[in-house]
Amino acid sequence: MLRVENLHVSVEGTAIIKGLNLTINRGEIHVIMGRNGAGKSTLANVVMGHPAYEITEGSIFFQGQPLEELAVFERARAGMFLSFQYPAVIPGVQVGTFLKKSVASVRDEPPKGRAFRKELTEAMSQLEMDKSFLSRYVNDGFSGGEKKRLEILQMLLLKPSLALLDETDSGLDIDALRIVSKGINQIAPAAGCLIITHYQRLLDHVKPHFVHAMIDGTIVKTGGPELALELEERGYDWLDVAA
Amino acid sequence: MNYQQMAVPPRSAHLWRYTPWPRIHPTQTKELPDASEITFTVEHAEAEPFTRDGQSEDIARVFLQDIGGSSMRLTIHGKGETIHIHARASGHIAVGHLDLVIKGEATVLVHLTGEAGWCGMHLTGSLHKNAHVGFGFINELDANSNLLRCDDWTVDRDASLDTATLSVGGFKCKSDLRATLNGQGASVRQSITAHGQGARHDDHHVEIHHLNSHTNSDLIVNSALADSSHFIATGLLTIAENANRSDAGQVFRNLLLSEKARAEAIPELEVLADDVSAAHGAASAPIDPSQLHYLMSRGLSPDESESMVVNGFLIDAFSNLSNKVLTEQMRTRLTVHLECELKR
Repeated sequence: MLRVENLHVSVEGTAIIKGLNLTINRGEIHVIMGRNGAGKSTLANVVMGHPAYEITEGSIFFQGQPLEELAVFERARAGMFLSFQYPAVIPGVQVGTFLKKSVASVRDEPPKGRAFRKELTEAMSQLEMDKSFLSRYVNDGFSGGEKKRLEILQMLLLKPSLALLDETDSGLDIDALRIVSKGINQIAPAAGCLIITHYQRLLDHVKPHFVHAMIDGTIVKTGGPELALELEERGYDWLDVAA
Repeated sequence: MNYQQMAVPPRSAHLWRYTPWPRIHPTQTKELPDASEITFTVEHAEAEPFTRDGQSEDIARVFLQDIGGSSMRLTIHGKGETIHIHARASGHIAVGHLDLVIKGEATVLVHLTGEAGWCGMHLTGSLHKNAHVGFGFINELDANSNLLRCDDWTVDRDASLDTATLSVGGFKCKSDLRATLNGQGASVRQSITAHGQGARHDDHHVEIHHLNSHTNSDLIVNSALADSSHFIATGLLTIAENANRSDAGQVFRNLLLSEKARAEAIPELEVLADDVSAAHGAASAPIDPSQLHYLMSRGLSPDESESMVVNGFLIDAFSNLSNKVLTEQMRTRLTVHLECELKR
């Protein structure tokens, strides 16, 4: 589904990702852990097509197609989704309006009124979100937890085939973490998932197939869920030699 | 003093800095040309003609007084009804004066349309004690029309005025909007939303005067400017010496959608009382790229994303209003306008 080959990425002339390889297949949950500044978020952003990042070498393929051919909105319509670490605030745009427009953009057929309302109500109920969310402006005045729930709500409605989750667990309390994890687990069987996190605690709720340790712009070690426990216990210094 | 005895105000005056009087006068500044009447059609209320008795020393108001045109007074005793007033400006020069006397609660929407070459409109309104009104003004004049609008509101004790302007019509527009908070506990919440396209020139001068204690005012001005349009917002907020415990805020925001678009935002405060809260701010910037990226990452095309950000930005100007009917009406009119623009 997603194939990253020898990826090198720069931001304003500074190399951030330096020769990264990664393959994610449908139904697989991958986790990337690493220090701040290791390039984790850069990877998520460059896959989604953020214009600030320049691919200086290597390629990214999504469902066999080179991603550089696709604009950001085309990537979303092709089935890619990024849960942002810091979602943008859009004043004056109501959540309900935004969700309907967004869903209409990515689906072949625009959602029908009553069916969409039912779908929306179910998803919000699953994430324990109050209906009043729909009339609020997108991320305007939202707490950290509310922003993350809105990201997951979008993911449930957009039904992506590749979900990139950039520190979606940061700043969540225990209950919110459980709820958000439920959303991830719902989408995961039919999609490829890449979860970027600093903490092992998310993995108490979401079982990854692969855990990758990222140091200085590249993956230096890959393992199973046990690697996350080891990283939590030992930190990253022991991997510097491998890097 | 009549119009022809008055001197042309200098550009050094705050009010006339960006759109001087000769630029908005319909002909030559010394002339008092013939004017036809703006036609007012009022739904769900009775209006009656009245005789104007202007005492102003402002040249624009005296000009509108002397030039003639229609005069209509509406007295509202209501308990929350919505009144639509259609104002139609036709001919070379059209002028009208609308006077609102508010003794109850209502939402009043004035919808200005027409193809007049020049339109002059004077709105006066007095809110009696404990009256509450939401007043919306929608300028959808023909794209070649010029507009001079003067508003004068007085707000009495414990009365509240919500006023919203949607300025999307006309080519050259000058608005001088004044509200005076006379009574203790009076409040005004004011929103102005403007969309600039082509070479449209839109100048709003807003004065709010706090003359008594415990008075509140809140002004939000948002403009989205495309092409080579020019938007000006000047504010004058005064708080009199005895108007303690007053609270006032003004925010001017401009969204620049083109490199040639220009915006001036100049809030001004004159605070003579000691125990008050007064704040003002101004900002002009292009669309935040992170907003566009976020929306595009959800499948919206670049045009759809920009349209959504602009729509939201303009709607956000109405967020300070407490009158929900007014907010919804203005939001709907704005959305219709932007959807029509998107289809062009």
